Amino acid sequence: MISVKNLYHSYSNDEKYAVKDVSFEITEGEVFGFLGPSGAGKSTTQGILTGLLQLQKGDVTVAGYDIKHIKNEMFNKIGMSFEQSNVYSKMTGKENLEFYRKLFDVKTRDPQELLELVGLGDKGDIKAGEYSKGMKHRLTFARSMINNPTLWFLDEPTTGLDPSIASEIKSIIKEKNREGVTIFLTTHNMFIADELCDRVGFIVDGEIKLIDSPKNLKLQYGEKFVDVEYVDGKEAKKESLSFMEKEDIGRLKEILDSYEIRTMHTKEATLEEIFIKVTGRELV
Amino acid sequence: MKLWHSFVKELQLSSKSWYFYIEVGMAVVLLLILLVAVPKETDSRTDEYLYAGDIPSDYVDLIYRGLLDDEDEDSEYERVEIKVGGDLFGADLFVTDTRNIYFVDDREAVLRLAKEDKEVGIEIIPASDGGLDYLYYLQGYESQKLKNLYMVLQNNKVNYKFVERHMDRQTVETIEKDPFVLNNRENIVPVFLTYNGSLMGLFIIAAYIFLDKKEGIAMAYAVTASKVWHYLMSKIGVMMVTTISTGLILVIPVMGARANYPLLLLLVVTTAFAFSSLGLLVTTYYRDMMQSFGAFFIIIVAMILPNVSYFAPSWEPSWIKYFPTYHILEGFKEAISIGGSAGYVVFVSIGFLAAGLLLFLFANYRFKKTLTI
Ligand SMILES: Nc1ncnc2c1ncn2[C@@H]1O[C@H](COP(=O)(O)OP(=O)(O)OP(=O)(O)O)[C@@H](O)[C@H]1O
Ligand SMILES: [Mg+2]
Repeated sequence: MISVKNLYHSYSNDEKYAVKDVSFEITEGEVFGFLGPSGAGKSTTQGILTGLLQLQKGDVTVAGYDIKHIKNEMFNKIGMSFEQSNVYSKMTGKENLEFYRKLFDVKTRDPQELLELVGLGDKGDIKAGEYSKGMKHRLTFARSMINNPTLWFLDEPTTGLDPSIASEIKSIIKEKNREGVTIFLTTHNMFIADELCDRVGFIVDGEIKLIDSPKNLKLQYGEKFVDVEYVDGKEAKKESLSFMEKEDIGRLKEILDSYEIRTMHTKEATLEEIFIKVTGRELV
Repeated sequence: MKLWHSFVKELQLSSKSWYFYIEVGMAVVLLLILLVAVPKETDSRTDEYLYAGDIPSDYVDLIYRGLLDDEDEDSEYERVEIKVGGDLFGADLFVTDTRNIYFVDDREAVLRLAKEDKEVGIEIIPASDGGLDYLYYLQGYESQKLKNLYMVLQNNKVNYKFVERHMDRQTVETIEKDPFVLNNRENIVPVFLTYNGSLMGLFIIAAYIFLDKKEGIAMAYAVTASKVWHYLMSKIGVMMVTTISTGLILVIPVMGARANYPLLLLLVVTTAFAFSSLGLLVTTYYRDMMQSFGAFFIIIVAMILPNVSYFAPSWEPSWIKYFPTYHILEGFKEAISIGGSAGYVVFVSIGFLAAGLLLFLFANYRFKKTLTI
């Protein structure tokens, strides 16, 4: 569904790349999570895949179209939910969707039905400008489904939403995926990635560090973490150490030798911990 | 079809925005200024002050008779008093359609008028050969052309007999069959049309685009199966509709049925297209209205220059013709004048259409490249 080979992008058209030699493939029906700290190049990559940014260097095909020569009809198959909601604030929620659906050549979904799906069923006649941030975000999300896309780009779909709505959004995403929609999900949130993604790619400073399924990653790293709580003087301290790393094993020995241990148990690593181990970077 | 939907939506949106009402409101204010504050005719006659006390009285009689018969509007002269620096002087006043000619009793008055009030002072004196000499008191800044004209006109020692013969043989020919000159009020209409239409359009389309940029609308549009140029063109369509409506608000009450409306609309539409495209292009270089202000300021000032030559025909350097607004002003003038040159208006319109098209293509190309900025 998506194939990216040796993609580079520089905003200043020089050697300062925001995205460096990025390659990956996404197969049909897959949920692919694109994870990385702020400024890693996630939105830049997504911008190129959706034609918002010009392709500078590399080979990219999306939904069977070569991104070098973008055709508008390609967007009949694509849905895109933006990180920053972007709707006409002077139009009502329903008017926004009514207008947007006219810009596609394929069968589109009923605006009211979509509004209800994201919990805005009774807010359709209110101007989007009067919506709260979360409501605008949900409207943007709903809009991205209007053309029944087979490839769906989601940029931080649950950020800033309250937990119950976030979980509804998650179930919509799962449902769509079950119907066969391929999903490219960009996020900071490792729990969402863990829950939704078939595979994740870790990107840091414009470079992809690793691509694998959360399941594999956990098999590799899982049950090999130990949380140890100890007393240093009067202070209680806590550390998470991996059995995989020589350094960590040494540290554990040191703690066992020198301090009074309060609790100690092994656990499954979270995706976040794995990310930090792999990239040496926090996910901020 | 998508273009049409976008256009309708943009129209609906603009009817909900301030800018539309600002434009219409501006047009109404300008119209009121025209109707209330600008009289149809101001006294545009130039004043001339002559002293003819030193020449024989039958010469004076002859000149008076000539003026009354041929030029004076009511064939009578009036006895008036004119004020020069606090002193009163008697004078005979002839009113022709272009001039107020005062024959002042006192030579001193002519000198002082020229000196203190910067008026045109003329002294008619007997020439040594029995004819008349005209002595002009000028201000010093008159062009050589004007001086030469005065020389040819009057100062080549006109012989009394010759004058008489010449006057008898004079016939007046009308060159244009039906000369139609715009009155004062009508003469301002092209200016308001140009600036309320094209230049406001330039600004307002940019305001719309920057508003959309802030809301991220253009990006949302770019990921649909509709083309970005549809989006841009529908904005231009809205500008055309507003320009046409504000133009008609101005023209209909002032000109009534006298304007050539098809020509007028042709020029309104093509200039609105060109200037909106220019506005679009400018927005691709900046993030918001504040940043783009400098660029717009320069454009607007440059485009207003031809206005000066429009109102002061004596200042018309040849380079002013390179300013597009010069031709818009002249074009609108032709379009609302009876017997105006349709060829010129069509020619200018084609020019703006072509320029607009190029600007639009370039703006569209740049717009796609700068969507995320
Ligand atoms: N329009 C732009 N002009 C210049 N540089 C940019 C632009 N947009 C992004 N960048 C730079 O490119 C790099 C990657 O940015 P990008 O927006 O892709 O990060 P991201 O991973 O999406 O971050 P976030 O999680 O904060 O959204 C950053 O260093 C950023 O400063
Ligand atoms: Mg981002």
